[in-house]
Amino acid sequence: MSFVLSPRTVEEAVGLLAELPDALPMSGGASLVAMKNARLIEASHFVSLAGIASLHGITATDTGLRIGGMTRHAQLAACDLLTGDLSMLRQAAGQIANRVVRNMGTIGGAVGNADPAADYLAVLACGDAHVELTGTEGSRLVAMTDYVTDWYETLREPGEIVTAIHLPAARPVPSVYRKLCRVPGDYATASVACASDGDGVRVAVGACGHGPIRSREAEAALRGNLRDPVAIAAFGAALADLADPVDDVRGTSEFRLRLIPRMVAAAISDLEGKR
Amino acid sequence: MHLEGEFTVAAPRLTVWQAVHDPALLARCVPGCEEAAQIGENSYRAVVKAKVGPISARFTLVVDIVEEEAPDRLRIKAQGEEGSRASMLTAESELALSDDGDGRTRVTWASDVNLSGRLGKYGLGLMKKKAESLSAEFVTAFSRRVETGEVVE
Amino acid sequence: MPGKQVFTLDLNGRETEVFAPADATLLDVLRDNCALRAAKRGCNQGVCGACTVMIDDVPVRACLTMAGACGGRAIRTLEGYGDDPVMGRLQEAMNASGGVQCGFCTSGLLITARNLLAESPRPAQAEIRSALSGNLCRCTGYVRIVEAIASAAEEVAR
Repeated sequence: MSFVLSPRTVEEAVGLLAELPDALPMSGGASLVAMKNARLIEASHFVSLAGIASLHGITATDTGLRIGGMTRHAQLAACDLLTGDLSMLRQAAGQIANRVVRNMGTIGGAVGNADPAADYLAVLACGDAHVELTGTEGSRLVAMTDYVTDWYETLREPGEIVTAIHLPAARPVPSVYRKLCRVPGDYATASVACASDGDGVRVAVGACGHGPIRSREAEAALRGNLRDPVAIAAFGAALADLADPVDDVRGTSEFRLRLIPRMVAAAISDLEGKR
Repeated sequence: MHLEGEFTVAAPRLTVWQAVHDPALLARCVPGCEEAAQIGENSYRAVVKAKVGPISARFTLVVDIVEEEAPDRLRIKAQGEEGSRASMLTAESELALSDDGDGRTRVTWASDVNLSGRLGKYGLGLMKKKAESLSAEFVTAFSRRVETGEVVE
Repeated sequence: MPGKQVFTLDLNGRETEVFAPADATLLDVLRDNCALRAAKRGCNQGVCGACTVMIDDVPVRACLTMAGACGGRAIRTLEGYGDDPVMGRLQEAMNASGGVQCGFCTSGLLITARNLLAESPRPAQAEIRSALSGNLCRCTGYVRIVEAIASAAEEVAR
């Protein structure tokens, strides 16, 4: 049997994953093949999702947008449907790696891998996104805010694949994705996704814990106080309190904790400037 | 990477001292430990499997007690290799036991762990998070087993 | 360990059969089985850009592409540009302007630059720099490379 298997339907793909316990699903391969090359992972097979038509494309649904798991970063970075409070997703997609890797990597792969420092998680948590997971038993939707459970651990079961990301319909209010990184295209040292929401904001912090950090309580407390620097500082501090950053080559844990309130304040002021 | 911690066990110091010398008991407390055996007076061998996301590793460790002052203090050196794979692990740990009143024992520990090879490249930041959560799991399991009297004499 | 298998590739316009390890990447197959060594094995992580090739007219990393996922797709490496006058201009300009020193990054840069000129025949400096952001060069400092691409674009457009 080939090492790379190329099913044509989702049913076939999850069937193969159920049948072959040591196989891994592969979407764009940008992270998976890099990990294979570094001998970090071992698999009996890669089940390529690239040939499954239903995983491609971005479609409007009754409730908003459905982004197929095989949608490449380059497509999202150029997607006209991502306006208003969804424009942060477009901004984030355009900051992943470089143009060539953006032709390869996919949103389904990125969400499936759940690298804490990757760009989509914070944006999707901020955007009230749901992850569509499909296995042999069918599909289920999981809120992005619940999806990541530990470092590289998610609610996705081994035999499941990320078939789509669901987002509410775009609202005509500003949103911004701020990323601090050593050089353009690097993983984030810290990142903040921020969207206007009436007289408040929705905010999620990335790369500062095992998953994106969002606090609806803190958001409620900030409502109506977006011009009050003391309230904004308290909001940033509340998010930093929820963070659990690593020490690594991109920065120390302490540095990241200090970045959070500043980046959050900067993102909120970006939005005020765009009103 | 440096790890340290402290916890209390509701058991007398001598019981805890025996427990930290019992490979069968320890094997049941170390997360991912697949086997453990005494191979010399102060030497033990263990196979431990660890997993971070899609990456898993199985280390064969040789653990030596290099210094001990019964029933207070213990210094341990561990060295391990990842089968045919290119990772090496070394750790130097110190453990101190003290009476905490009411028949309780306070355990203070510190460990310096070095990881080289394919996993060393992966990012010690993340490895440290993982090591901390494994330590916490160990402490919970160890305390419970010692407190319920599961010490093999 | 996976064994070996036959891959049928559409490589530089020719149907090519290779017998290679089943878990080989496209880069492995190009270099080790097809003697096509323009694409270089640099980082093997998708960062350096030295292995950039075209698949179905889109630039991708050969090191991150599984050979087994290339069936039915048109692969074009630098060796497949022998009759492309624009690539010829780019190569001459790189030579003339000192955009090549050790040469390791050059093939990948040329593929990226050729794709840029297909998308944008008269690219501005900033556009060139942005396009090259995924191709690392440790010798030249990029200035000569950017100049070379700009001058080749000028010539082609003339």
